[in-house]
Amino acid sequence: MVMAFVTAAIAMLIAIVPAGIVLCRDELGASVVAYEFITSVVVMVLALLAQAFRRSGEFELAVLLAVLLFGSGLVFVRAMERWL
Amino acid sequence: MIIKDVVSDLLLVLAVLIVLGASVGLLVMRDAYQKLHFVTPAALVAPALVALAILVQVGVYENTGETFLALLLMIIAGPFLSHATIRAIRVREKGDWRLEQSGQAPAGEKER
Repeated sequence: MVMAFVTAAIAMLIAIVPAGIVLCRDELGASVVAYEFITSVVVMVLALLAQAFRRSGEFELAVLLAVLLFGSGLVFVRAMERWL
Repeated sequence: MIIKDVVSDLLLVLAVLIVLGASVGLLVMRDAYQKLHFVTPAALVAPALVALAILVQVGVYENTGETFLALLLMIIAGPFLSHATIRAIRVREKGDWRLEQSGQAPAGEKER
């Protein structure tokens, strides 16, 4: 069962690659969208890895990143709107 | 035991397929407005499936609670972030997000 969660986490990390390409090569608005996508996927990856290796404490990281997703996303879009 | 594993695996496969599809969509779509549509499946649907997979696997437990808490935070943040992003992109392109007094789109805006 560990394998299923680890495999899902690896597959999701592979899915970050196209978003990373958009992040690096596209215009600013699309880059912010790609950043939001990557953050959402990484929240899932952290939860999957915590479950895969049976580490209850590491679920905190997923919760923490979900909170930061909101704050950092708003900071980025506000900066893009006003200054960038 | 086996049924639990199969259901959990199916939910994980579905979540991975959604994320992979959304990622490809993000890459091939033309502009930020179109790309933003592909964030929602990865930010709302896939986390719900992952949380369900963990629920099926371990039952009601501390880990499940924390996963659902992360899911809840993402469900709250998603619409706000999408709205703020679209607004910021429009302000960046047009100078203002509102329509003109006449109710028409700002001059120079192309029909999509």
